[in-house]
Amino acid sequence: MPFLTLLASLLAVLALGAPASAQYRVGMSAAITGPASSTYAPTYEAYKVYFKRVNDAGGINGQKVEIAYEDDRGEPQRAAANAKKLAEASILIVNASTSATYKPFMTESETEKVPLMFGGGVCPREAFPPANPLIFCSTSFGSKWDSRFALGFIKEQAGGKKVKVAFAAQDIPLSRIELEFAEQLAKDLGLEPIPVVVVPGNTPDFTPFAQKLKDAGADWVLSWALWHVEVGVFEALQRIGWPGKYLLYGHQQTQDELARLKAPTLHAFGGNTLFMESLPIHAEIVNLVKGQTTHPAHYMAEGWVSAMVLEAALKKCGWPCPKDKLATAMAGVSVDTKGLRGGPIEWTADNHYRKNTYYKVYRWDTAKNGIASVGGWTRLEIK
Amino acid sequence: MAHGGGYFKTTYASDLALVDTRLRRTALAALIVALLVLPRLTSPFVLDLVAQTALAAVGALALNLLTGLAGQISLGHAGFIAAGAFTTAVLVEHRLPSPLLALPAAALVGAVLGVVVGIPALRLKGLYLALGTLALHHVVLYACGEFQNHWGANTGVSIPPPRLGGWVLKGTTAWYYTLIAVAALVVALSVNLQRSRAGRAWMAIRDREIAAESVGIDVARYKVLAFVWSSALTAVAGALFAYQRAFVSVEAFGFFLAIEYIAMITIGGLGSALGAVLGAAFVTLLPYGIDAVVAGLRVPGGAEYYLFPLKFGAFGLLMAAFLIFEPQGLVGIWRRARNWLSLWPLRYRPLRPAS
Amino acid sequence: MTQVLATTVVVASLYALLAAGYVLVYRATRVLNLAQGDMMTLGGYFLFLLTTAAPGSPALSITTAAALAAAAGFFIYHLLMRPMAGHPIFAAVLVTVTLGILLRAAIVLVYTDRIRHPLPLLGLANPPRRLPGGAVVSTFDLLTVGVAAALFLALFAFLRLSPLGIQMRAAGEKALLAAQRGINFQLLFALSWALAGFAGALAGILYANNVRLDPSLGVLGLKAFAVALVGGLDSLGGVIPGALIVAAIEVLSVRYGDPLLADVSPFLCLLAMLLVRPWGLFGTKEELERV
Repeated sequence: MPFLTLLASLLAVLALGAPASAQYRVGMSAAITGPASSTYAPTYEAYKVYFKRVNDAGGINGQKVEIAYEDDRGEPQRAAANAKKLAEASILIVNASTSATYKPFMTESETEKVPLMFGGGVCPREAFPPANPLIFCSTSFGSKWDSRFALGFIKEQAGGKKVKVAFAAQDIPLSRIELEFAEQLAKDLGLEPIPVVVVPGNTPDFTPFAQKLKDAGADWVLSWALWHVEVGVFEALQRIGWPGKYLLYGHQQTQDELARLKAPTLHAFGGNTLFMESLPIHAEIVNLVKGQTTHPAHYMAEGWVSAMVLEAALKKCGWPCPKDKLATAMAGVSVDTKGLRGGPIEWTADNHYRKNTYYKVYRWDTAKNGIASVGGWTRLEIK
Repeated sequence: MAHGGGYFKTTYASDLALVDTRLRRTALAALIVALLVLPRLTSPFVLDLVAQTALAAVGALALNLLTGLAGQISLGHAGFIAAGAFTTAVLVEHRLPSPLLALPAAALVGAVLGVVVGIPALRLKGLYLALGTLALHHVVLYACGEFQNHWGANTGVSIPPPRLGGWVLKGTTAWYYTLIAVAALVVALSVNLQRSRAGRAWMAIRDREIAAESVGIDVARYKVLAFVWSSALTAVAGALFAYQRAFVSVEAFGFFLAIEYIAMITIGGLGSALGAVLGAAFVTLLPYGIDAVVAGLRVPGGAEYYLFPLKFGAFGLLMAAFLIFEPQGLVGIWRRARNWLSLWPLRYRPLRPAS
Repeated sequence: MTQVLATTVVVASLYALLAAGYVLVYRATRVLNLAQGDMMTLGGYFLFLLTTAAPGSPALSITTAAALAAAAGFFIYHLLMRPMAGHPIFAAVLVTVTLGILLRAAIVLVYTDRIRHPLPLLGLANPPRRLPGGAVVSTFDLLTVGVAAALFLALFAFLRLSPLGIQMRAAGEKALLAAQRGINFQLLFALSWALAGFAGALAGILYANNVRLDPSLGVLGLKAFAVALVGGLDSLGGVIPGALIVAAIEVLSVRYGDPLLADVSPFLCLLAMLLVRPWGLFGTKEELERV
């Protein structure tokens, strides 16, 4: 019986062809399930809600946008199969998944000359100047730039005093490489770095790592990793009575977690505005998302901005929009993020990350009994 | 060349032949023709799937050698694949990307690893062996992770497409043909090993080790040999994997990969080369099969998200169903189907008369 | 130094709770339940379910969650493991792996992959506690140690003193003889699975309140089974020294060695044990042709 099902489904797969129709055909491969899904599944959901609204309102340039969603679970093999499947029929592929899935997509993009946009995962080198003509990235965070901002912030908060900065990385290559870069940069900025402490993601108890950081005499600890490691180290540090300040990269759960922990020494930085600021765009998203997604509205910021960029790109391309025209159109796109980010996303022929990137820091303010931002937006120019 | 029509052989050559009956020869020829012609009929996506299946089959055949034939349960398969892939990565980092060097090097690394695992494994049986190989898997992955952190640019090592002389292997169709050819070779190798002296020794060890020893089989030597053959083949599969995906990253080799391979040989049928291939096809294609079935259903907007974890759960469910209801696996189903066909309209084989 | 000791004991208690589940199931049915980590996660999510269903009543939520997990263990045995009775042990272990997959899929289906924190929903707090000697642990760390100790005492008493426990040990040793003496060993095997679910749920509930709850907590189960093996797969008493040894090596390698090794160290212990003494510190020396 299972054998017959297999045979039937094999034939179904073979028989399935891509029906031709007049629409913008976009492909998206995301880690909708799997260990990384809490970061990337909201992007998938944001796209669905966003483009449903776009299509209900008549589409772009009179044409509907059809997005084919594939789940790659963050695995390279599935990503490769998805890349082949999507590259056939799409004018653009969006990748919202772990960096392990990047290579197959970049290879397919190059072979089929399909533009590839990264909308949630860390931006690859090819999106930064000098940019690969087919690779684009809308993600709010970026390697090296995050560290530049973070250390700049710490230096500013230190107000001229010499402070010891420690680094808590996770045992994934991205985190380790980023914080090793930060360690080097700290020295150049005049801060006193302590060697990076690497924390395995499956640690049952973060106390020994916190002890190491405390014993080293850190005034500040910077962490750039998955949320549970960043916050686990912080909670352990708090527990053993460490008096210093903690700066971590804020993922989707920042708002919920800052409210849960109520710790004034915990600082979260990121590129997306938190929903507690209640900008008009936030209310708009909350209303649209009601009942349609499994993740709450305030997880949708990253995906929403990416969808806005895609809409702007398709609008600029016009109709008909073959993939080469789209690639050229995207290279000049400028998107007003309506407050979701600190400023517009502007791409040029050479720079497919953005001309300027903006960061903001949030922390819990005990006096106001709420989350408050520490200063305003900081702009870094991408050269 | 004399050909007995099915069961009546008149020469040693025909007795030893791998493909003995006319029906089998025709079926094999048809299969070869179908495989050769497939690229003209289907999309690159389907070709890639078949190529993935072929590569998975190589790994499954290697594991079948160890677990199905020799009865040595190994949960560390992903570690051997990772070892082969990272050998390629190390060579690429040292500016030696040629597959002529990488494939034998991977086989060598696999073989050495097989000895490293095999010798202590002599002391362990059954579950303990499985646990030991599982522990080894974690150690190998730790080593690979350390290597990747030191030398990987950002998130992994990029592998350039393999060149043999002037010819570069890239593109779906080229990889399809290459992997089908490799899989065919490994199938032939596997079937021949099964029929060889080593194969018989392994099966004896699997069935009753003490009896095998008493008959004069050098159990220790053959056990280590099983590990060596299996890990060498697996490492080669890992190297091919590295070349095909053009990217090596330690995250691709988690414990679930080992589970998938065990599922392949168990669902396919332990101890049979055909089972390994069928199991590899089943496990590789099942998620896409489920996708195809589900794509036909109309699901309300918000509920689409739920389909994804359901698909993941369906894999577990089907695997459990096979383990509980069909312990002989796909090969068991195939044999039953074949017997039914060959005996139809009768249902049972006739008994031979007593005289 | 006292901090190292305190952390070791806390981590060892968590591992011991998980390893107890492995040992209970192995002793009775000779199957290694590789889904024990996922049963821990299941217990944690049962708690989360109850906090949303009956907010603010921690005692009710915790006891009901543990009871639900025990019931789940009972049903898992009857649905999945009992049909595997005649099959090779290897296939039964594979079925437990698929059980893990199914449990994870079910949890993600209902609750997605988001990290959850039941603690505030229960109305409890987890303040730090200073121990004599200067070490600091959290309240739930202490609870973990206490619960682990209580569970082990209870299990010892149950298995040695109560008639049901003695029957369970008999059924585990020689099921056929036990059946001939009128012992319903199927019920006892199911009971051992229920106890494993209960122990896992305790671990899950404590960890969810102490650290976090997310579907991938099951990986801790893999480390815990290294503990079970070091102690001896069929020795409940061996779990305690096994847990202490593995936890000590893990914590010491973070403090004084390479932190990355901490993640691999349970498996290195496992390998070392397998090479030197495969049946563990206190396990019974298995006959060679067991499997």
